[in-house]
Amino acid sequence: MRLSSLNDSIAARLALGNGALLLALILVISGIFYFGTVGVLDRGIDGKINSISTRLLEAYGSGPIDALAQEIKRELADGIDSDSEIFLVTSPSGQRIVGNLSTWPPPDAPLGVLLNRDVIRDGRLSSARLIARPLPGGGRLYVGRDLSEQRAIRDLVWHALEAVAAVSLVLAVVGAWLLRRQIERRISGIRRTTHEIEAGNLDRRILISGDDEFARLALDINRMLDRIEQLMNGVRHVSNAIAHDLRTPLSRLRARLDEALRREMTVTALTDAARTAIDGIDDLISVFNKLLQIAEAESGVRTESFARVDLSRVIRDMVELYDPAAEEAGVRLRVVDHTAVWTLGDRDLLATAVASLIDNAIKYAGSGARVELRTQSAAHGVSVVVQDDGPGVPAVELPRLTERFYRMDRARHQPGNGLGLAIVSAIAALHDGKLQLANAEPGLRVAIELPGIKLGETQQADTRAPPLPVTPVPNLSNL
Amino acid sequence: MKSLVIEDEPETSRYICNALREAGHAVTPCGNGLDGLHHALNDAWDVIILDRLLPGGIDGLSIISKLRGLGKTTPILVVSALTSTDERVRGLRQGGDDYLSKPFASAELIARVEALLRRAHSSPGNTQLRVADLTLDMRTLQVARGATSIALQPRELRLLAYLMRNEGQVVTRTMLLEAVWDCHFDPQTNVIDVQMSRLRSKVDKGFSPALIHTIRGVGYLLGLRA
Repeated sequence: MRLSSLNDSIAARLALGNGALLLALILVISGIFYFGTVGVLDRGIDGKINSISTRLLEAYGSGPIDALAQEIKRELADGIDSDSEIFLVTSPSGQRIVGNLSTWPPPDAPLGVLLNRDVIRDGRLSSARLIARPLPGGGRLYVGRDLSEQRAIRDLVWHALEAVAAVSLVLAVVGAWLLRRQIERRISGIRRTTHEIEAGNLDRRILISGDDEFARLALDINRMLDRIEQLMNGVRHVSNAIAHDLRTPLSRLRARLDEALRREMTVTALTDAARTAIDGIDDLISVFNKLLQIAEAESGVRTESFARVDLSRVIRDMVELYDPAAEEAGVRLRVVDHTAVWTLGDRDLLATAVASLIDNAIKYAGSGARVELRTQSAAHGVSVVVQDDGPGVPAVELPRLTERFYRMDRARHQPGNGLGLAIVSAIAALHDGKLQLANAEPGLRVAIELPGIKLGETQQADTRAPPLPVTPVPNLSNL
Repeated sequence: MKSLVIEDEPETSRYICNALREAGHAVTPCGNGLDGLHHALNDAWDVIILDRLLPGGIDGLSIISKLRGLGKTTPILVVSALTSTDERVRGLRQGGDDYLSKPFASAELIARVEALLRRAHSSPGNTQLRVADLTLDMRTLQVARGATSIALQPRELRLLAYLMRNEGQVVTRTMLLEAVWDCHFDPQTNVIDVQMSRLRSKVDKGFSPALIHTIRGVGYLLGLRA
């Protein structure tokens, strides 16, 4: 792992941190193990030396020196720890009286303190831990232990710990390297895709493998890319639409005004030209507003006016609005099922959508047709269905109906701009819903499918939001 | 009628002012937000026409909330190029009385201003509407021409009531759609015209004088006309 990569690679930092943590853990465990074994042994020896020396002094210190010498000889001969025990009694002048040491610390060595010294015991040099205590008669009592065995155990523990440290260091380094490689491999897949998208291939997606955090991140990114692509297509469509479908009426308008200026001399003729131009501009503004409305709905940003809406109420209101127009066109418009179904939405936009569907049905189903509206409620959601028994739409044309500015040949003589169903589709999408077109044989069946809200949720929502402003009809006071 | 027009775009301002003058208003134009607020506070106005995006450090909505906060109840018509549902709702919630999207026809502007003025001066307690021999009793919902009772659908009652409250004033199709059907979209077909002709056949047919009049290119008017 290069040090320079630490600043610019989170994978390297993670791997290094991981390795460092592992090493720290090994150090702590080793420490605990070391002091739990060697430390305990050391403390045990110190305790024994102290207790034996104290016992000897208490039992024989004030008595004759011979009794003490006798006891020491017995201790050295009893076979318990005899090969490591050290005893020595010296006279006030520093001469050995009894004991198994041939050299000992000088008389001025500190008294009553445990010391580590090299001594000659039974003719062998060995390191020992011992204590010197004064005898009431002026001599010294030395009690101690040979530490050779101790050394051997300590060395064994130490070697074991060294081996563990070496192995764990190797494991930490290898683990860190593997970790880093794993992370980098996953990230580089994502980066490759983003580079491709940056280069203009908006349809590229990250390959998903497994179901871990990276796979979920990749899924999120892919979903985001889907949304962006969809919005980009929307923008592209709008600019195409402006290029083709607004340019034509604009140039027609311009030509007419130009001609009027060049040819028409009478005030009436010029007034007429101006009036026609205003009508043309109004039509353009209407198309423009509709394109904006589509773009707004497609942006997917919900309006602040999202609230509980009873779709049956919406269809009744719209049928009421369109009823005279339908009658005039010879179309029988009626609501066949108006069970209350609730959705969360913008009442105005939903009304726009329903109105647009009714408008289409009246226009294209033809005189004598029946147009029926109903609300439906199913497990997966609710829907508004508009069905006519008119001539219907050829199956090949169905998917094209929601395209902007698409108009079927037989619709071209009708007023309209080919945006109606595009708006309905966008409004449905804004509400997390879908516009479904199907041949009803005879006629066309159009459904706006939306997510529903259950009555329970509705009642809960009531505690926070004021109840849906259901317009009492007639409510004449606010006019 | 004294009208204050707060609009920074000179061409639009001129268009609005001229339309109001032709309708008999005394108009004071104002080109920026701060001056507009100053004028609005220090003078008595019958109506204020207000753009939303203004220079001068204070925008249209802030002017409205300042005025409303200070207890001014002058009718305010907001005109704006911000046309989305959200923007309209925001404008009305802030205290605007009506919201008109740009671009608009001068006739639409005048019709809405007149409706605002009428609303400001009408007494809401009036339960008996009367235009010539046409009566509408708001409590019993009885409609009659002279002694002849007329049966109307609930929505037709709303429509008639709106027209009668705006007696002698032009109301546009959009105004009717908003006030009676609570819709803010532009229907592709002539739904309002058909609704009106149905109402007319019930209220005017066989009676004299005719009370519902079509104003070409603008909308409708209910009232006695010479």
